[in-house]
Amino acid sequence: MAVVKINVVGETCPVPLVEARKALRKASPGDIIEITGTHPASKKEIPMAVEALGLELVEVKEEGDSWKIKIKR
Amino acid sequence: MLGEYVYLDNGAITRMDERVLEAMKPYFFDVYAVATSEFGYSMGIEAREALDDSRKILAQSLGAGEEEFIFTSGSTESSNIAIKGVALALGDKKGKHIIVSKIEDFPVLYSAKSLEKQGFEVTYLDVDDEGFIDLEKLRDCIREDTILVSIQHANQEIGTLQDIATIAQICQEKKVVFHTDATHSFTRAPLDVNNIPVDLVTVSAHTIHGPHGVGGLYIRKGTPLRKWMDGGFQEFNFRAGLENIPGAVGFAKAVQLIDDNENQKLQEMRDRLLDRILNEVPQTTLNGSRLKRSPQNSNITFHFVEGESITLHLDMRGFAVSTGSACFSRSLEASHVITGIGGDHERAHGSVRFTFGRFNTMEDVDNVVDAVTDVVENLRRISPLGKTD
Repeated sequence: MAVVKINVVGETCPVPLVEARKALRKASPGDIIEITGTHPASKKEIPMAVEALGLELVEVKEEGDSWKIKIKR
Repeated sequence: MLGEYVYLDNGAITRMDERVLEAMKPYFFDVYAVATSEFGYSMGIEAREALDDSRKILAQSLGAGEEEFIFTSGSTESSNIAIKGVALALGDKKGKHIIVSKIEDFPVLYSAKSLEKQGFEVTYLDVDDEGFIDLEKLRDCIREDTILVSIQHANQEIGTLQDIATIAQICQEKKVVFHTDATHSFTRAPLDVNNIPVDLVTVSAHTIHGPHGVGGLYIRKGTPLRKWMDGGFQEFNFRAGLENIPGAVGFAKAVQLIDDNENQKLQEMRDRLLDRILNEVPQTTLNGSRLKRSPQNSNITFHFVEGESITLHLDMRGFAVSTGSACFSRSLEASHVITGIGGDHERAHGSVRFTFGRFNTMEDVDNVVDAVTDVVENLRRISPLGKTD
């Protein structure tokens, strides 16, 4: 199981979701994708996409002005 | 993305039909001579016959004579040959004025812009809120020095079908060459050059389940057109370059596979999608005309959400669609078509195009409508664009 970290700090829609999607495509089942960003709408949008894909949303964490989302592929 | 996929971006490109591939195969492996070798050896004769037979099928599909149709590498090349060829033939003799609409596809728009840099004057005609040009305005714009009018048949994004019969008549009366880009209407909407006095017609195989990278140009006999790509004397000396015989054969096969039933089926899918979305999803606007549009095209703006978000979420649910949103384009500019019909950037940002093809079903329509309804509802809840009710 690998942990793939993606930094989209400062990026706005649709970049965080696009990057998350790219990482999910490359990941193997069981891998963790950890996305760090600042765009408020993406913090809500990425979990929506995770739900639609039937994947596991491991964690959504606020860290000051940024957020961190962990997804299990 | 992770499972089954429903492709609804047939306006961009279509999946090639297996029967097209089967028709092409012998011309890769058995009859691979160039057509110009017909004078040397028998395989060349077979190659020439295949090319001529394909040309006949393409020409007949437009009501044209065989000598009036050339094969090209696609609609971009066809429109470039047409527009720049007329400019070269008439620029020094008759004048340097060209008319195009503001919502043409890029091969026409950028050919016109390129000629502008070379001293030609271009009038970019406005369109109304459904994408139609004003025919009287066109008539008024034609001058003594006008050499060419290029107005598309169906629009690439919103499917609006221009009245090219009347446009052609106006051009004929005014003695101006008329070119139409029929990439998105060819075989889907009627176009017979015996009834419509058009001089040049761009067509392509990639939109009708044919091979990618193959197109054609109808050239009415006597149309002033100068060849500008130097090389051999192929395609009646209008287009230099080795003939793509497998491509020509595949294009012809693709044309033969289309019938009225298929177009009717596409139209039924289009209408069901439009009816359901416009009735079931609040705050939506149809882009283009409800009736005078190509049978395979639907384009809707979902207000207060971004088209790229919709497309990405639909992709992850297994549907491929496209958007006119700026963030989705390489140019980072909002769709010139949506802004051309009077839409603001918000309308362009929320526009989504669904284009159907042979391999889609009514079940695909219902599934994508259900998916987009859910996606849009969810996105509006978190929309930074303001009003969400």
